[in-house]
Amino acid sequence: MEQLLSNLGLGFSVALSLTNLWYCFIGVLLGTLIGVLPGIGPLATIAMLLPVTFTLSPTSALIMLAGIYYGAQYGGSTTAILVNLPGETSSAITMLDGYQMARQGRAGPALGIAAIGSFIAGSAATLLIAVAAPPLAEVALKFGPAEYFSLMVLGLVGAVVLAHGSVVKAVAMVILGLLLGLIGTDVNSGVARFTFGVPELSDGLGFVAIAMGTFGYAEIILNLEQGEHREVFTAKVGKLLPSMDDFIYCVPSIIRATILGSALGILPGGGALLGSFGAYAVEKKLTKDREPFGKGNIRGVAGPEAGNNAAAQTSFIPMLTLGIPSNAIMAMMIGAMMIQGIAPGPQVMTQKPDLFWGMIASMWVGNLMLVILNLPLIGMWIKLLTVPYRILYPAILLFCTIGVYSVQNSAFDSILTALFGLFGYICVKTESEPAPMLLGYILGPLMEENLRRAMLLSRGDPTVFFQRPISAVMLVLAILLLIVIALPFLQKKRDEVFTESDQ
Amino acid sequence: MQIKNGKDFWAGLMYIGFGLAFVLVSRNYSMGSALRMGPAYFPTWLGGLLTLLGIIVVARSFKSHLEYSWRLFEFRRYFMLAAVVIGGIAYWKQAMLVGVHPWFALLINGVAIVLFFASFGKRSLSWILLVTVLFGYLLKPLGVVITTIILVFGASLAGHEFKFREILFLAIGLGIFCAAAFVYGLGLPFPVWPELRG
Repeated sequence: MEQLLSNLGLGFSVALSLTNLWYCFIGVLLGTLIGVLPGIGPLATIAMLLPVTFTLSPTSALIMLAGIYYGAQYGGSTTAILVNLPGETSSAITMLDGYQMARQGRAGPALGIAAIGSFIAGSAATLLIAVAAPPLAEVALKFGPAEYFSLMVLGLVGAVVLAHGSVVKAVAMVILGLLLGLIGTDVNSGVARFTFGVPELSDGLGFVAIAMGTFGYAEIILNLEQGEHREVFTAKVGKLLPSMDDFIYCVPSIIRATILGSALGILPGGGALLGSFGAYAVEKKLTKDREPFGKGNIRGVAGPEAGNNAAAQTSFIPMLTLGIPSNAIMAMMIGAMMIQGIAPGPQVMTQKPDLFWGMIASMWVGNLMLVILNLPLIGMWIKLLTVPYRILYPAILLFCTIGVYSVQNSAFDSILTALFGLFGYICVKTESEPAPMLLGYILGPLMEENLRRAMLLSRGDPTVFFQRPISAVMLVLAILLLIVIALPFLQKKRDEVFTESDQ
Repeated sequence: MQIKNGKDFWAGLMYIGFGLAFVLVSRNYSMGSALRMGPAYFPTWLGGLLTLLGIIVVARSFKSHLEYSWRLFEFRRYFMLAAVVIGGIAYWKQAMLVGVHPWFALLINGVAIVLFFASFGKRSLSWILLVTVLFGYLLKPLGVVITTIILVFGASLAGHEFKFREILFLAIGLGIFCAAAFVYGLGLPFPVWPELRG
């Protein structure tokens, strides 16, 4: 307990420094801004703003990037409620009741409870990270290569299970990602693999180019293909604060959603989307009074918004303690850390306590900023929503392009991004989920390295992965997960779940 | 036998293509053993696995309960054919092209790239991707302001509506903003204006 307090004390002293407060502010502001805009997800956002952080110190950079992520969750709900479009995919469920409330003239309370619910959930989840991270990192420090390898297998299987659509295709995308991650110089032998004599490839495929191309560019291209139709509901937002009655009515669902969201966020493959969807399903089952769900029940806003924020926060836990990303956004954070020269893993907490605790404390500070910021700024966000897409997308494209180019100041990365933009487009058209690929890409070199070491230590005996207890448990879990998901009955259930969340 | 699920069919072919490519290229490196893995070991296994999954997905596409046309998006095969031929010339006969004139080599490369991206999808796709590539090449010689203006105009042509005045204001505004924010604000090492060297 004392340890926790002193850790948090250190964290707050870092997070409350003027510089970091400023970058936290910029992060949540930009995150909200982009979250409000439909058509660019948090992944594209972080990829777009990644180069902006290059000149910052690692702590400030990560504080800002984290701010963008949870800021985007806040912003997404505004769009969902006012325009009936998901500003972020995780807000898709908020649309159902939020937009109905707006049509009934209760847009204000809907926006208000979304912000308050998110804040409560975010604060609780931040505390959970502070409590859960140190013991987890301690365990992780004892991991050998075999355990690490199995952990990565489990993480990737988790990502597959929670991906949309076909399991086989998700596995294939993971493997493709692992392979793409191997491009470049092999650390053991010094051989340049799969570079075709292109010198720019000897350091590997550019992470920013892949992420930006597959997510950012593909999104813009598909939006343009579909054409534009949207209607902003700005007639009357009304007063923002929900009534005391509404608030008390929502408290139990905020608490439930926080607990559920926190749990779902830690799972491999989990994150904001799962949190909001899970919370909505629970609330829908448990709430019997007032309006039915889908007709403007305020719990249908409070629950998912609290759930997605809690999950967004706790998905940092595996990334911070194990160095293993649980979803594509955390893969981006790991990419950012590596660009800053920090090797992600359990040692970050002991070697760079100011970075670790500063980032955690900044999440709470950032959440507070968001509540204070967003309620008065909603008018501005609404104005932003009236800007037509034909004006927005050239600007978005421009920032993406500059972002990619600035990583190495080379035209090669621009070509690479364009190629991955095409690849992302083909992925969407063939229903191959690209998010597991990004995870695989980050983990590829790590997995190979740990596999090599484990086999070297065991003198080439592959059963080592089942002889070491922790490793065996994780592998068995991974295999069980794959078997369970392949069962026809569960396959059907899973399809239903994802179809419902798509609506 | 006919393809029922076009999405699976092409996805599977894509996996097979990538898988085989990685396996084949890996043959250039040493395989090693399970004890001491060479650089080819891990990619060969993964590539093989990916190929296998690709075959499963393709096989599945013939008896699927979901039906999709095998035409997922527009594909212009003659463009692609031309791109491959011209790109091949540009790659293997580079020395000869540069011998004619360095700009000529660049032009041939550019034609191949344009044809390649233009073979896929609708106009929006090729425009967006091409202005991105163009931006990479023009930034150093032309500076950030002019390149931004070109990019904004090019990107706008990808959309459904094109209003000249609106785009002009947007392009100039963004050009100034980028110079101010990225070059002066963040200190990125971009030239602002074209470099006039003698």
